[in-house]
Amino acid sequence: MEQTKLDDYLRVIELCRDVETSSANPFDVDIREKILLLKQRLPELKFLDELLVDSEAMLELAQIVKLQDQWLKQRASALYIDPLLIQLKLKLLHKETLSEAFVKSWHPIAQVDQLSSRGLEKAFVYWRELTPMSERFKNQFGTYGIIPGVVEYSDLVSLGVFTAEEFELGLSRLYDELLQKSNGEWLDYRQFIEGESYGTKVRRAYLLAFLISEGRALLKTEPLTGKIWTMALAERVKGTPKSVAISITGDS
Amino acid sequence: MEPETADRALLERKVRRAFQVLVLQRGRNPGVKGWEMRRHLGREYRKIIGVLSEDVAPMGLEVFEVKGPDGTDDSSRFLLRFKEPPTISEAETSGIRIDDLAVLAASIAFVNSKSGRVSRREVEQFLREKFPKWRVDYSLDRYVKRGYLDQDDKGMLHIGWRTRAEVDEKTLMTLILSRAQEAAKK
Repeated sequence: MEQTKLDDYLRVIELCRDVETSSANPFDVDIREKILLLKQRLPELKFLDELLVDSEAMLELAQIVKLQDQWLKQRASALYIDPLLIQLKLKLLHKETLSEAFVKSWHPIAQVDQLSSRGLEKAFVYWRELTPMSERFKNQFGTYGIIPGVVEYSDLVSLGVFTAEEFELGLSRLYDELLQKSNGEWLDYRQFIEGESYGTKVRRAYLLAFLISEGRALLKTEPLTGKIWTMALAERVKGTPKSVAISITGDS
Repeated sequence: MEPETADRALLERKVRRAFQVLVLQRGRNPGVKGWEMRRHLGREYRKIIGVLSEDVAPMGLEVFEVKGPDGTDDSSRFLLRFKEPPTISEAETSGIRIDDLAVLAASIAFVNSKSGRVSRREVEQFLREKFPKWRVDYSLDRYVKRGYLDQDDKGMLHIGWRTRAEVDEKTLMTLILSRAQEAAKK
């Protein structure tokens, strides 16, 4: 498409849009001149894209004609006052005087805003037909509506992840390891739970959480550095446990 | 029943119906369109509205017609409104702040002076000389939402349907001009 050929069209469109988006006088656009220009250029247009630009320019000119009509009606009404004069007058007036002028020319609408029996019926039908939240987007996004919860030891046993013997054995093995490694000192939590695979790491973290809950190990967090420390205790301690959320990712 | 009495009873029933239709809000905006009135009251609905307007006058109300964009009877909107403007204290008790009313009055006058359409940015700039920015933004949004001003997709503000229905714009403009003259003399 030759750009020069369309330049006139684009200029017309641009001019019209400028007038539409400002309070400029729509009579600044010489409609007759612009239409003659478009008519003169029309035989040069061959492709659909070019013809679309032509129709767009015509549409914009039609919008300007509409604005000219409104402009004339407004000017002809008694409401038109020179903008500069009205701005000056508005600046001179106090807020109280302005609001008083408004109230003196105001006729509020009288109406009753209430729920009708028909409205109530519609609301009831809507509520009855409304699918529960968990079901609503199932078709588009599948079932994702289950909120995160806590996996209990009994759940894991029932799922076959652990047997009761395995769990107890795993717990005492981990306790021994922690006791040996920490030896009364704080140990880096993340280093300690590290395993061969992500699965092993989660399993160690899960078992360690049990040891901590039972008072056989301690956990300390440093909020500023983000470091987490753990330590095994030779004797079980009693106290009010506090909950700490620790995220375990595949790479940490 | 005598034919005259029957006619009178029918008229009274239709006037009652017209009042109910006008006073109960059905859609999002108050008022009833001409075609709806025809459906509820029949072809002679304008006569019924005339009778109703006389009946509600002692209560300080009137039936007011706002012409639609195409000027046809069907597109007209009929509303029940106060015949006389309220007093300042009555307006205040309706929960509207004096500052908000002042913003609306200035906006309507400004839009009218700009041949009925002006960019919102221009209105904001003008109002900020008199009111704080937060109040200008808040009030303009509120008045666009309530139909006093109309904002198109190009960001231009126009006079909204509610202003046409509730505000006597000529009186407003005259009062603004006359009060400003008095203020200037002082």
